[in-house]
Amino acid sequence: MIHFISKRLKHSLVLLFMASLVCFTLVVSAPGNVAVLIAELRGAVATPGYVEKVAEEIGLHKPLLMRYAGWLGDAVRGDFGISYRTGQEVSADLPKRMLVTGTLIGGSGVVATLLGLALGFLGAFWPYRLPDRVSRGLALLGASTPTFFVGALMIYGFSVTFQLFPSFGFGGPESWVLPWVTVAVLPAAVLSRVVRVGLEEAMASPFVLTAKSKGLGRTAILFRDALPNIIPVFINALGTQVGLMTATAIIVEPLFAWQGVGDYFLQGVKFRDFMVVQACLLIFLAFFIVVNLIVDLAVLMTDPRIRRQWS
Amino acid sequence: MSFNRRTFLQIGSGALGLAITDATFTKFAFAEGAAGTLRVAIAKPAGNLDPQSHYAIWAIQDLMFDPLVRYGKGGQIEPCLATDWKIEDGGKTLHLTLRKGVTFQDGTAFDAASCKWNLERWLGLDQFSWMNCSKYFQSLEVVDDHQVALHFKEPPLALMQELSYTRPPRFLSPKSVDANGKFVEPVGTGPWRQISADDTQSVFERYDGYWGDKPTYQRLEAKVIPDPRARVAALRAGEIDLVGGFWIAPLTPVEAKQLEAAGLNVVIDPGNVTLVMAFNPDRTEALKDPQVRKAISIGIDRAAISQALYQGFARPAGNLFSDALPFAGTQHDAPVRDVAAASALLEKAGWTGGPVRSKDGTPLTLEIVVSPDAVPGSRVVAEVIQSEMKEIGIDLIVRSVDHASKHTDMLERKYDLGFFLTYGAPYDPFGTVVALCLSTFNNDVEGKLFTDPANLDPLINAATAATGDQIAPSIQKVYDWLRDNDAIAPLVYVPSIWAHSKRVQGFTSPVTEYDMPYENIVLAE
Repeated sequence: MIHFISKRLKHSLVLLFMASLVCFTLVVSAPGNVAVLIAELRGAVATPGYVEKVAEEIGLHKPLLMRYAGWLGDAVRGDFGISYRTGQEVSADLPKRMLVTGTLIGGSGVVATLLGLALGFLGAFWPYRLPDRVSRGLALLGASTPTFFVGALMIYGFSVTFQLFPSFGFGGPESWVLPWVTVAVLPAAVLSRVVRVGLEEAMASPFVLTAKSKGLGRTAILFRDALPNIIPVFINALGTQVGLMTATAIIVEPLFAWQGVGDYFLQGVKFRDFMVVQACLLIFLAFFIVVNLIVDLAVLMTDPRIRRQWS
Repeated sequence: MSFNRRTFLQIGSGALGLAITDATFTKFAFAEGAAGTLRVAIAKPAGNLDPQSHYAIWAIQDLMFDPLVRYGKGGQIEPCLATDWKIEDGGKTLHLTLRKGVTFQDGTAFDAASCKWNLERWLGLDQFSWMNCSKYFQSLEVVDDHQVALHFKEPPLALMQELSYTRPPRFLSPKSVDANGKFVEPVGTGPWRQISADDTQSVFERYDGYWGDKPTYQRLEAKVIPDPRARVAALRAGEIDLVGGFWIAPLTPVEAKQLEAAGLNVVIDPGNVTLVMAFNPDRTEALKDPQVRKAISIGIDRAAISQALYQGFARPAGNLFSDALPFAGTQHDAPVRDVAAASALLEKAGWTGGPVRSKDGTPLTLEIVVSPDAVPGSRVVAEVIQSEMKEIGIDLIVRSVDHASKHTDMLERKYDLGFFLTYGAPYDPFGTVVALCLSTFNNDVEGKLFTDPANLDPLINAATAATGDQIAPSIQKVYDWLRDNDAIAPLVYVPSIWAHSKRVQGFTSPVTEYDMPYENIVLAE
């Protein structure tokens, strides 16, 4: 187990380093002069002399590798630099924004898990009958509808028409409902199919025949025998979906005026706020890597075959 | 009484019904908003409100900080913190009489001393040399407690207009900075006092010690909603009362139509900003010929652009400035699209053949650079023009870039055709004419609309040096030259768009896009 964790951690660090280098290169090689934007934000008129001064100040004249090394060194110490756009320290802005995004992804993950399991079980209880068809249809609809459209529908239905939930803002629990559901729709659709197919496969296994011959009912077999069999697959699928939710957050946060990391990233990209973009990318990458690590560990704990392989 | 399954279900369903009803009515109350509170959408956090910095939303600064004079309808300069002013010594001295009985929101008196302290924070500094009054500032003299005199090395152009700007000329309490003079908190003499601000909203309450007409409601909340669709939904859901303004929380014409259809009040003001197409003769030989420029200009269907892309809200433009601005010059009708005349002009200029015309083996291919970040909707406008140019034998390539690339490309003149927005009130007409058309004015990165050092520069210099009755005829010569040479192609006057709920009554559009239109509003509770 320790060998497994240390190996995965080493891989993760290499991945993080490579990914940050790629992101850095992409961000700095984009066309246009970021110094112009910063000078414009600081003063009413960006004179060429001032633009040059800004370029000097933010180190645009230094070689790329030196800029990257400097940034990486500071980032390792928790210093992500100063936002060009706001003049605030990025590391001071990040905690509150991470809390917002954490609430979004955490809540959506729970909603997606519950919805996915419910729809999957619905189909497995009554295979090829109406509930199964409905569950399959909902999954297809959920998987094919773009997230921004789901969000717009949610706002139109539940905020504009029925005025049940606020259409924007990160306030109390009532303001979390629509963003959670919006982000959860696509993962729930995918997870419901994973559960449904997994349960169907498990129900066709010889051990189910044994259980039936012992007189156990379908419900008992589904929960006691089939469910534990699909847990590793479900965890894998959930891990992938939680990772993808970070990308969805970039769309959903601005839609509901949530000032999270996704919104921060989008604003950073728009204004070429290099420090913000780099910090957000690093957080996203770290999050992906941590989620993958947790998934691997969870699968290791729940799948005896893999546990045997590493023991 | 027995407690059976039926009773349990009845009690359970009753409780659930009550909970839903309560939640629903709570939400309705939330959506309607607290009495006496105006809720306005802003597209980004208000930012650092120091009047001498450049981070904040202008309209939020406008709520708290008064200027010496205000820019009124049609460019009329109206008294504000200064009740009277006299320009003497050939324009080199400005005598100001300050309003008596004015206090900052922290109780500090507004007088000659605090006026001097404020003006010396920016007058004469390099950072503000883009303003004539700062560039030519010489000294400030306190005459008495309520009179000051400003002395300049040269007569500053459009002096009183400049003093009406939102920043840097607005007035801050001398107590709102630390020992090093660094801005700490926003305290002005204006009608609104900030009580809290973060990334999600800024909250203001009415300053009851305000010297002028006080708002009729107690509180104003500026809610940060970056996404335009979310702003529209929030207004429809009744969670905000007012949305709009180019620099506050812009609405597109399509969104305005949707809101109108949903029964909300939409207010369209003709606006004072013009969308202009620029030609770059330095890059493309063909554009050196005024006939080609004229052909392109009359090949564009301005009425269709206005109708289809601005939902009929924009007025086709025949001039650099609309008559909403002072010294806008003689107003001409917008050119009507004439494919035959445009084709004839191109033939006459030697561009023949088809489907793409050519001359000496060179096809008439032009590139238009657009940045929807800088000029909203410009990509669609460019695509419409692209199809119209095809009809007259011009191959137009649309290159869409982001805001940063647009600045670089425009400055380095890497375009054949490009879009510019004029600065609008209170900066125009001189702001746009000098910054975008005077070749020697080289202190910004906007690029140039059109320059001609030999012919146009002397006209602009004469116009900026003119005083009194000479201003109108001398700037008219600039407009006439641009028109006679087909140097630019004004397309449409961009409208100012606002929408509000039924709760808001008495709304009037602000005079400039930099003001917050809170003044005439009465809230129907």
